[in-house]
Amino acid sequence: MNHLTNEQLEDVMQGGDADITHLNQCQDCRDSLAEKQAIAARLRSAFMSVKADAGLANRVRYQINQNNETTETAKSIQHTWTTRLHHKLWPALAAAAAIFIVLVPLSMYVLTPSTATAAQAELVMIHQQNLGSHREFYNDADPEKLAEYFKDKLGFTPAFPCTGQGMAIRGCCVAHFKGQIVGSYVVDTPKGVISIIVVTDTPRQMGMTHMPEKTGYEQSLWKSSYAQCNMVTVRLGDYSYCAIGEISKISHEYLRYLLSRLLPNIQQ
Amino acid sequence: MKTSSESFEEIALPHLNAVYRAAVAICGRQGEAEDLVQDAFIKAFERFELFEKGTNCKAWLFQILRNTWIDRLRHQKIAGLTLPLDEEIVARASEDGELKWSNAEDLIENFSDEQIIKALGELPEDQRLTLFLTDVEQLSQKEVAKITGVAVGTVKSRASRARSELKNKLSSYAKQMGLIGGEK
Repeated sequence: MNHLTNEQLEDVMQGGDADITHLNQCQDCRDSLAEKQAIAARLRSAFMSVKADAGLANRVRYQINQNNETTETAKSIQHTWTTRLHHKLWPALAAAAAIFIVLVPLSMYVLTPSTATAAQAELVMIHQQNLGSHREFYNDADPEKLAEYFKDKLGFTPAFPCTGQGMAIRGCCVAHFKGQIVGSYVVDTPKGVISIIVVTDTPRQMGMTHMPEKTGYEQSLWKSSYAQCNMVTVRLGDYSYCAIGEISKISHEYLRYLLSRLLPNIQQ
Repeated sequence: MKTSSESFEEIALPHLNAVYRAAVAICGRQGEAEDLVQDAFIKAFERFELFEKGTNCKAWLFQILRNTWIDRLRHQKIAGLTLPLDEEIVARASEDGELKWSNAEDLIENFSDEQIIKALGELPEDQRLTLFLTDVEQLSQKEVAKITGVAVGTVKSRASRARSELKNKLSSYAKQMGLIGGEK
């Protein structure tokens, strides 16, 4: 008696045609089928518990809207050009389009109430990218080498985190914030990964609220939460140092603690 | 009239969890899976005009997810032509060393969800996705063939090999846990 092949058993599992007569008569084939079905059912139930983090949907939505705005702007400009050129108004329109190109991205931050959200979303995005496997970090045990890296990339050297107490710098990198290059550190801490992003925007411009607590050096702090991330920012000189971590692991208080550890270096 | 992002959110975004589960099946790690899903959804949005309304959006997203994953592997230079060889080895191993389970249903309930997902993650690349799509998403062999870019016959043999290999992995876990002996 020829048993059903694996491919035939696959067909049976899919509810397709198969030699049912043989299956009814053959205990071995029935056992094989039952085993395959048990594995399939258990695999299905194992994945029932896997659910995407709520923040993921927000991040996807944000990126889609960003892409959409860029596309719509481009389409709008193209449409204006093609229709008005027939009226020989292109010099005036070229100027208008140029203004449009400049004003639309700017308006995201300056003219609309979503200014703060957009800035915070970008900060979260940088943090998420830092957590991703594709982010390339520059790392060197020598702090002077790290300083050289930032000097080369940013034109200045931001302060470096004071490590120890289970904290270590995973690496430095540059990212884009509001179309400009900014510096970022990633710090591994006992509670989780924290990104520190150094930007020129003030905490208020980024929509953060003032914290009653201060650092050990009496520096004011601002905080915010967005897309499952907590953020705390300290303003030092011309730069804001924004520390970001996931809400589930990193509290505002812990971020404040980390920023306080940055201060001895910052004040150098 | 709805904007393209509104339509996309309405049609594609409800499948986020399913796509995320597929990403976990493909790459195993949660952080990387999130990254992969984000990239896949951006690509899907960019190509949304090409999506035929009324067809299976989830299957379309799975296809984009797989392509995004392959692009990543290429980028990391860890893809290449190793897959057929891997599959061959797995197939041989499955034929040579398959353990008999006296009561599959009872035995398999002893494993945690994490162990099951981990065992799946140890299979060769395309076997993971094929088994996920076949067993978890319960797509038809034809749909899986379209998503993975192979013939229906290949889907059948790949799913069968993957399940055998998964069983072998779970058998070795079971031995470690003292649930079964080493009898064949």
